[in-house]
Amino acid sequence: MKSVNQEAVEQDPQQLHEDLHDIWGNPKGLKALTIVNHTTLGLRFMITGMVFFLIGGILAMLVRTQLAMPDQDFMSPEIYNQVTTMHGTVMMFLFAIPMLEGLAIYLIPKMIGARDLVCPRLTSLGYFCYLFGGIILTSSLIIEMAPSSGWFMYTPLSSKEFAPDLGSDFWLLGITFVEISALSAGVELVVSILRTRTQGMALHKMPLFAWYILAMALMIVVGFPPLILGSVLLELERAVGMPFFQIAGGGDPVLWQHLFWLFGHPEVYIIFLPAAGIVSTLIPVFAGRPIVGYGWVVAAITIMGFISFGLWVHHMFTIGIPQLAQAFFSAASMLVAVPTAIQVFVWIATLWLGKPKMKLPMLWVMGFLIIFVCGGLTGVMLALVPFNWQVHDTHFVVAHMHYVLVGGMFFPLIAGLYYWLPLFSGRMPSENLGRWGFWLTFLGFNGTFLIMHWTGLLGMPRRIYTYEAGSGWEIFNLLSSISSFVLSAGIAMVLLDIALHFRFGKPAKHNPWNADTLEWANTMPPSAYNFVSLPSVETRHPLWDDPNLPHTMAEGKHSLAVASHGRREMWGTDPITGKVREIIHLPGNSWWPLFAAAALAVVCLSLLTKVYVLAGVFVMIAGIFLLRWSWENGAHPKAAPDAGVKPGDPPLHSRTMDGPGLWAMGVFLIANGSFYLSYLFGWFYLWTVSPEWQMPETPPLSLIIMGAAGVAVLAGCGVMEKLVRGLRQQRDAGLGAGFYLAAALGALQVGLMGWALWQAELAPTQTSHDAVMLVGLVYALFHGGLAVVLTVLQGLRVGYGYVGAHAPFEPGVVALLWRYNVVTFGLLIGALAVLPRVLGG
Amino acid sequence: MERLNFTHPIHLIVGLTLWSVWFVAVYSGLSVACAVNPPSPEARSLTLLNAGLGGFTLLCAAGLVLLAWGCCRTAKQHQGRQRFHAVVSGWLYLFSAFGVAFAGLPIIGVPPCL
Repeated sequence: MKSVNQEAVEQDPQQLHEDLHDIWGNPKGLKALTIVNHTTLGLRFMITGMVFFLIGGILAMLVRTQLAMPDQDFMSPEIYNQVTTMHGTVMMFLFAIPMLEGLAIYLIPKMIGARDLVCPRLTSLGYFCYLFGGIILTSSLIIEMAPSSGWFMYTPLSSKEFAPDLGSDFWLLGITFVEISALSAGVELVVSILRTRTQGMALHKMPLFAWYILAMALMIVVGFPPLILGSVLLELERAVGMPFFQIAGGGDPVLWQHLFWLFGHPEVYIIFLPAAGIVSTLIPVFAGRPIVGYGWVVAAITIMGFISFGLWVHHMFTIGIPQLAQAFFSAASMLVAVPTAIQVFVWIATLWLGKPKMKLPMLWVMGFLIIFVCGGLTGVMLALVPFNWQVHDTHFVVAHMHYVLVGGMFFPLIAGLYYWLPLFSGRMPSENLGRWGFWLTFLGFNGTFLIMHWTGLLGMPRRIYTYEAGSGWEIFNLLSSISSFVLSAGIAMVLLDIALHFRFGKPAKHNPWNADTLEWANTMPPSAYNFVSLPSVETRHPLWDDPNLPHTMAEGKHSLAVASHGRREMWGTDPITGKVREIIHLPGNSWWPLFAAAALAVVCLSLLTKVYVLAGVFVMIAGIFLLRWSWENGAHPKAAPDAGVKPGDPPLHSRTMDGPGLWAMGVFLIANGSFYLSYLFGWFYLWTVSPEWQMPETPPLSLIIMGAAGVAVLAGCGVMEKLVRGLRQQRDAGLGAGFYLAAALGALQVGLMGWALWQAELAPTQTSHDAVMLVGLVYALFHGGLAVVLTVLQGLRVGYGYVGAHAPFEPGVVALLWRYNVVTFGLLIGALAVLPRVLGG
Repeated sequence: MERLNFTHPIHLIVGLTLWSVWFVAVYSGLSVACAVNPPSPEARSLTLLNAGLGGFTLLCAAGLVLLAWGCCRTAKQHQGRQRFHAVVSGWLYLFSAFGVAFAGLPIIGVPPCL
């Protein structure tokens, strides 16, 4: 394959490094808050995640101290409930996912030969949302007002009636805030992996870790919105009394369980997949041979990504679901063992056929294999309905969950941290301290949780704060508690090793494990721009096939070794073949993500303290910050006013019709669509199942007005499509006026919807029917309004010369939102206005 | 049209998407039927609902097997990237067919709404 821009221009490598550093380097002092670089932000995610891990770990120790002996009053029941709820919440939402996302944010660009993630400012926004959301949530512990209804917040236990204080509100608002972060990372990881791999890296040559992260990111995009919807609905119920989950008002508490587990079960695989990606990366390196069955692993990842969405009801086997439905979910739960087994056999076969070196990271991989396989087997047991009924809500489930999550996530994570530690710091960890840490953790873990299986089989329920002497559970609980402290000592030793190595670790030689993937072509620790020049890669093992590659890359002998233009640049490549399509130019450091996240934090706090006016004001302020951020794009002076490229190079992405922003919008709309489908599921679920659902005799929404609004949005979308078609043919006459016309049609749709809403005279605090309808209409109003604002901005940008035939990229992105609005509004009319008339109550 | 070719990576997700659609259809179809017009418990599994769900399941499984066979034939005609996509897609179609058949198996003997 002929690579683009391959002719090396003889340059002084040191000078090139300095020039690139001037463009990509991180500022210091207060301005460090503006950093958008993926290496720095990935590390920030991981360090913050470890802090939350320590908080979650201390909470676990408190739980084990309380349960060590019968009839203890170390904690009151109220505090115990808060501690157990927060332990689960912190570990799942503030440690596991952000930690793995942080690792992915750090590694993915380096592995695929890119210089950064595709939306750097989004990485920064995601980090600050995570940080602020995490602080808000954990601060509830300090004021003894933490959530106490379990990490899954089942209604009605978490509803106003049984949880009148602010605990549930902290959970619902804090978690939703943190999920903005998860979704941001999900969107940009998908787009980065698909569109910014270095030239030649076709889909089937991609490192397996990137496949795992692609699946994880897509699962986040689809899996998180149901919980966001559930959280919004429950917070609305608690704040203003809209009865979504109250039987008397026509709601149903089981709807919460569906929405939660629609997210909650895929969540387990969202955590497991990147961890399995670490294992699939490490085993070939330490076995000294390529992985056996690359294609099988890709198939297994894909299967897991889908099947894991079909298991959620196995968490609800005891709530009274028909046997046949239970059988579907039982079978699907067993099916997921197939891709898991494929991966386990692939790993064993690779070790079998290679010459494994049992270095420190491999020790953790072996621990993972043992613990995770045990956890997987108890998972198959729990998939069987009769067994599930027997052990439901006992410590057996707690033991299974920890075998899967700690075995399936924590052990590979530590393996990965030890493996990439030399890349992070340029130093090696201590083998001795590390081995002590491993064995204490491994023995302590099994001592804690293997025994817990028996405690559960003897009937000890979950979430009880104490138990009577003579129940037969005493010795098992005591052993579990003692072992948990051994486990803590092991983890402390690992953390000590990692902390000490920064000061006392031996300097690492380049590529110390003789790895095959591109991240080891970086300097150790890496520079802000990763690579001086971007190579053409047409093999799965670039560093094994060309050990000299890191040197030639550092000498600027490959592509894009240019800094004179002052832009942050990298390749935009074809998602399938890896052929170069365009040069992606990235934004530099920015305050806007921090400002937007801070404004959203004020919204969160205002909602918590019920100062709704302030919340409304800061929603507007956050919106202004985000729009101002979006203004600095494309041909804006702060982005890329000069479209000049070297002869033979492809154009800048903002001068084409297909840049990463279009893909980011597409992936974001998938997440949005998942939210919307969850909403429609809620509407039809309550309509079908809720015993007190009241369908009004006369449907409140006017079909004529809603139809007219539909015509308006369709016409607006048509105008946008026509303008985009024109730009595709380099025609931009009347572009600005066209945008204003489309915006006017959008405003007409919003106005008509507002009229329909006003005319409907809904009573959303009286019936869940009206409450659900109101949420749907507000959703459509928001999207209609957003399309209007973005389209007006496009009109303004035409006036400033930022958009036109010379820079045609952005209107296509906005047009995608218009298409989405047409489809969702059409479905809304069908669900809320047409079907009730056709089917009746 | 290129996307219709079995060498296109879109087929890596089509089979399991069909599995998902089948799964949602049988679960929601069953739930709605049980809520609106549940068959008599005395009929056990010999109901129109079971027959409908079973027929739909067979149809989906057969369609997925056909798609797997198409991938298999196409894979033999290509090398490299295209062969990789066709082979992996073929296995994924086959697994999806197995998934439909396996998860649908209880339709034969379990009463729908008890």
